[in-house]
Amino acid sequence: MATETTAAPMQVELLAKLCQGRERILREVRKIIIGQDQIVNDVVTSFFAGGHCLITGVPGLAKTLLISSLGRAMDLTFRRVQFTPDLMPADITGTEVLEEDRATGSRKLVFRPGPIFTNILLADEINRTPPKTQAALLEAMQEHQVTVSGTTYALKEPFFVLATQNPIEQEGTYPLPEIQQDRFMFSLLIDYLPKDQEIEVIDATTSTAGAQPEVCMNGDELIEYQGLVRRIPVAEPVISYAVALAARSRPTEPGAPDFVKDYVSWGASIRASHYLVLGAKARAALAGRPHVSVQDVQSVAYPVLRHRIITNFRAESEGISSEEIIRRLLEAVSPPKSGL
Amino acid sequence: MPQSSQAATASPAELEGVLERVKSARQAIVQELRKVIVGQDGPIDQVLVTMFAGGHCMIQGPPGTAKTLLATCIARVMDLTFKRIQFTPDLMPSDISGTEILEEDQTSGHRVLKFAKGPVFSNIVMADEINRTPPKTQAALLEVMQERQVTLGGRTYPLPEPFYVLATQISLEQEGTYPLPEAQQDRFMLTISMDYLPEKSEVQVVRHSTGAETVALQKVIGGDDLLTFTGAVRQVALPPVLSRYVVDLVASSRPTVEGCPDFVKEYVAWGAGLRASQNIALAAKSAAAQDGRATVEAQDIRKAILPVMRHRIGLSFRAEVDRVSVEDIVRRLVEACPEPKSN
Repeated sequence: MATETTAAPMQVELLAKLCQGRERILREVRKIIIGQDQIVNDVVTSFFAGGHCLITGVPGLAKTLLISSLGRAMDLTFRRVQFTPDLMPADITGTEVLEEDRATGSRKLVFRPGPIFTNILLADEINRTPPKTQAALLEAMQEHQVTVSGTTYALKEPFFVLATQNPIEQEGTYPLPEIQQDRFMFSLLIDYLPKDQEIEVIDATTSTAGAQPEVCMNGDELIEYQGLVRRIPVAEPVISYAVALAARSRPTEPGAPDFVKDYVSWGASIRASHYLVLGAKARAALAGRPHVSVQDVQSVAYPVLRHRIITNFRAESEGISSEEIIRRLLEAVSPPKSGL
Repeated sequence: MPQSSQAATASPAELEGVLERVKSARQAIVQELRKVIVGQDGPIDQVLVTMFAGGHCMIQGPPGTAKTLLATCIARVMDLTFKRIQFTPDLMPSDISGTEILEEDQTSGHRVLKFAKGPVFSNIVMADEINRTPPKTQAALLEVMQERQVTLGGRTYPLPEPFYVLATQISLEQEGTYPLPEAQQDRFMLTISMDYLPEKSEVQVVRHSTGAETVALQKVIGGDDLLTFTGAVRQVALPPVLSRYVVDLVASSRPTVEGCPDFVKEYVAWGAGLRASQNIALAAKSAAAQDGRATVEAQDIRKAILPVMRHRIGLSFRAEVDRVSVEDIVRRLVEACPEPKSN
């Protein structure tokens, strides 16, 4: 493993281009989406890090519009699948159908790719579908390929899943098991807009036809930038800080603070450490900086840890959420002194 | 019961040659795996012990501890096909073993039933979170594991050889899980425990996993080599004093046996069965073979005891109250049952 300390000149140039690209994307998306800056920022970060997002929020908050606009700005294909209790794995991955050859009259099985063959898949209300169908999506998400009747088909690259969960109407839903939530890089919360922004939305949506975002980047460039993100050097103390944040959230860890031992039943996995560092790298790269700071790690702490820290019954009865645990962890784990 | 190899009995000289190959293969495999898997030498060692003995294993540990990574890397260095099955509450037996589909014959135009093989037709099957699925589906996997073949519509389809199942169980959400019955657990040769790494190693893993470099693993051996090795493992000699020791130790874990230690009577609901003794012996033989030896030594037995016994001892309610773990019990059993003096 090479530990680079300085970025090559070409990399600096590419970083500057990336930073401009990000500005343009955000500008285009803001033409369409009012407010929700945090969510837009986090989704963009996950795209450049190559991770998937879990989005929790009630319906009607422009999730679909937000994601399709982002897709258009980056020239990526976009598909939305409404998850239902009767959705089957093949409805996502695709299926073999019997097709007749017009010329010869013979029939043969032909693979019809499912909606997963796209760059961005919006898996809407994933908790409405039974576990086997959820598992099919998560497996494809992990492996970037699907296997149907013994043949393996590669998905399009880049490939992102944004899965939404509806927090209300818990009846008749199949909550994603905690372990499977671990496969998502970020867990994002989307909430109602402040009143003045809601007025803006009403004005914008009820007046003349909406604007279209312009294309500012394409998929191949995005893949190149993902490689750049991974090449951003990180100092050892910053990685140690990220690992400490994740490790201290585990109640079995000897160094875990008391509030973790009291309130947490399951702490963040090693995937949390991985995504804290990768997310921080993406944040640094998107800001045009060739090095990762402690603030970059902190800025992704909530979306990375939110779904990975499972609180216990006692926490629930005392009203302590995983957000609160993260806030206390950020206080309890001291960042490296070097002022990075 | 672990698979027996069809390999013919080798002469002592031949055996020595094969054992040399086993030893060097093991070293090369471990070296390859360490390129990708950090700080899990114990689990790597135990997976190899199981596979060289032709057994199946259970892997336990919190999420994100490289369980799947270990399995896929092993498949790559041993040149074996790999399939992962995510077990869910709605998984059906046919999702594992396969199903018959109607297909048209191109030439005659007749329709025929064709067997579409399920994911179990693979050299290594990773059965992820096996206790999330209802008993009927679990039983389907365990039956296939035992018989190494799938029977459907009166026809029998043999599985590829070698065939290994690596199963994981979740302990996180007890609700909505279907624990494997003891008799079913008994079919796994050993249970490997993978835990979080020390923070220093985790830093190393993360530096690597978030970087741009990728490591390509080299193939070290093939499936045929493995079959030869499993045959050789069974020819490793087990001195009678050691087999006596194994049987005594395992028997002392049974609360109904006369003369068992008091803590067993107190804390153990059911002890380890005959399969425990068999598998300790076999695992010890596998460990000896990987060291290039044709005779089992006490150290081989020592290493095998905990992973083999871990899932074969049921704790009493009292043990739960006093927070006594299976590990504690096994440790005390080993203390109570003196190892024979080696000479």
